Amino acid sequence: MVSLLLQGLALGVLTGGLYALLAAGLSLYFGVMRVVMVAHPAFLFLAAYLTYTVHTTLGLDPFLALPLTVPLFFALGVAVQRLLVARLAPENLAMMSVLLTFGIALTIEGLLGTFYTGSYKSVSMEYATRSLTIAGVHLPYDKIIAFGVAAATLGALFAVLVKSRFGQALRATIQHREAARLVGVQTERVAGYGFGVGLATAAVGGTVLALITPFFPASHWVWIGKLMAVIVVGGLGSVLGAALAAVLLGVVEGLVLVTVDATWATIMFYVFLFLTLLARPQGFFGGRLAHRF
Amino acid sequence: MARVLKGLTTISICVLALTACAKTDEPGAAAQSPGQAPGPVRIGISLPLTGDFSEPGKGIQEGYQVWADRVNARGGLLGRKVELIFRDDASDPNRVSSDYESLITQDKVNLVFGPFSSRLVIPAAKVAESYGMLFVEPAGAAKEVFEQGFTRLFYAAPAIADDHYNYLADYLLKLPAGQRPRTAAYASLDDPFAQGTAYGLRDKLAAAGVRTVVDEVYPPETTDFAPIAAKIAAAKPDIVVGGTQFEDSVGLVRALQELKVQPRLAAFSTGPTLPEFPGAVQGAAEHVLSPVGWSATATFPGNQEMVKRHQEMFGGAANEDIANGYTVGQIVEAAVAAVKCVDPTPACQGKLADHVRQGTFDTVVGPLSFDDQGRPEQAHMIQQYVNGKIEIVLPGNAKTADLVYPKREW
Repeated sequence: MVSLLLQGLALGVLTGGLYALLAAGLSLYFGVMRVVMVAHPAFLFLAAYLTYTVHTTLGLDPFLALPLTVPLFFALGVAVQRLLVARLAPENLAMMSVLLTFGIALTIEGLLGTFYTGSYKSVSMEYATRSLTIAGVHLPYDKIIAFGVAAATLGALFAVLVKSRFGQALRATIQHREAARLVGVQTERVAGYGFGVGLATAAVGGTVLALITPFFPASHWVWIGKLMAVIVVGGLGSVLGAALAAVLLGVVEGLVLVTVDATWATIMFYVFLFLTLLARPQGFFGGRLAHRF
Repeated sequence: MARVLKGLTTISICVLALTACAKTDEPGAAAQSPGQAPGPVRIGISLPLTGDFSEPGKGIQEGYQVWADRVNARGGLLGRKVELIFRDDASDPNRVSSDYESLITQDKVNLVFGPFSSRLVIPAAKVAESYGMLFVEPAGAAKEVFEQGFTRLFYAAPAIADDHYNYLADYLLKLPAGQRPRTAAYASLDDPFAQGTAYGLRDKLAAAGVRTVVDEVYPPETTDFAPIAAKIAAAKPDIVVGGTQFEDSVGLVRALQELKVQPRLAAFSTGPTLPEFPGAVQGAAEHVLSPVGWSATATFPGNQEMVKRHQEMFGGAANEDIANGYTVGQIVEAAVAAVKCVDPTPACQGKLADHVRQGTFDTVVGPLSFDDQGRPEQAHMIQQYVNGKIEIVLPGNAKTADLVYPKREW
């Protein structure tokens, strides 16, 4: 029983890392723009499909798709923000952004269905089914890789946000848009780049997803609920909060799965979502709005 | 609003008219001899040609077309050409009702064939039932279909979900005591069909003394199967059975490998029967078992002819959906030949239904017979990956290779 709990805990931490990577972009969009980006998982699977194409047609390692997909997704993000999101009326932005991005998600799903058909695709590497065993606990290599990539990506994202001039401008835009504009930050452009960075994390997340699960065009729907729960529990707009909440929820899911069952494990996401909204609507790790990023 | 509705009605009428025209233009259907008094036998069918079920819907359509082509090549039903009238219900349960309503009352079809999936079969069968029409359907395996009190519905496939693993249960229980599995782990998707397959096997094995050590149900949103596999690993079962669809079958196989679970037998429903499976699980497909309703290599009457004719007409490989559509045709064809009437009157349709209920029919999925609610009374064949190829291993009279047990480690 103890070893089963340890196994559940280890798997939970690794899966939590993956959730953190997948949810990072969502947190960023909300922080920068107050945009609820329902299409984020659809972009994850768009990236998964592009990874699949690069892997099958060129025979490259899936991660070699990243130099192609990351800049592409950054540009896509800037375009989506400047051409679509920026045109929504500010007074009901949150609501309208749900509708707009829902439409984008359906469009992506339809296009994927047209080009790749409705059948399942998968990228399976030979390391995808092996695992590292430490003291009787099995750590699957694909999950270790996912965790490592998530840690590296989030680390890089953090470094950009904290150290670079762009990061400072982005945080200023998140904290107080008017004040940022007064001191000379071009908030429109910064918001566009912020969106681009969010979507660039989706490119990385999509490649990792492609490694660990088979997918078809409608796969993204099962992710949106989980990822939304992660960013609400973490505190909307807080990338660090989302990462901590992701690991917390991953561990809770893993432990509930091995001790109770899979149905309760899935419900835990929504239990935590409701508890957060009841007890601490700003999120458990978010802190005050002004300090979020 | 009223104008929008009116517009929509106009558009749908136009679309219906167009599809009707398009279908009557098909070669073969229009080739009836003008002097013949009774005209062709018209068969009305609504299928999900667009929407969620469009892939299987098109497969069923091809199956119906291949069957009609063969029947017409041999002189038709009771000497009359067969003409298929298709409607597209866009996977919408409301559309499917109105489609059958208009096929029966406006087009005055002689016969109706069923649509795809339990969700569309139930509303369609209600309409057919109210006009007393025989309703043989290719895809409605959920147990709810047979609990509606339909008297003229028959499911043209070997078995409902609970009976899919029957041959495997028989095989395992007949093994000598030393080889018989003692413990079993079950993991099933929370879905009536998937659970039905796993629980059918579980109940039979449990009744014979095979201990159930894990019995997991996971919701469709489940994306991570490693913790489920961890539970199975801790219980060290002799056999692992998954009531699965596709992603979860792949997820479970990968997770079981990662957690170093090496059962002596692994069986999953649906997933391993899809061509994407071996690629998705790499080398782990070897010796995985799965129930399958139809096989391209089986020598049941008409099967090889169907595969060949389908290849000529549509150019792809035949699949289970096509076979199920074809099977519907075979059963109705046999009933019409025996009863010698094809009128849409309740009397004639009743005679057809009575014949289907009491008879046994040779079809491309094997001999079929039905119980009083229209459930088929047979079992699925069992397939296994042997040396990388799909082989039928059970039952004995259809097998192409011997079942390998215990399985190779994955």
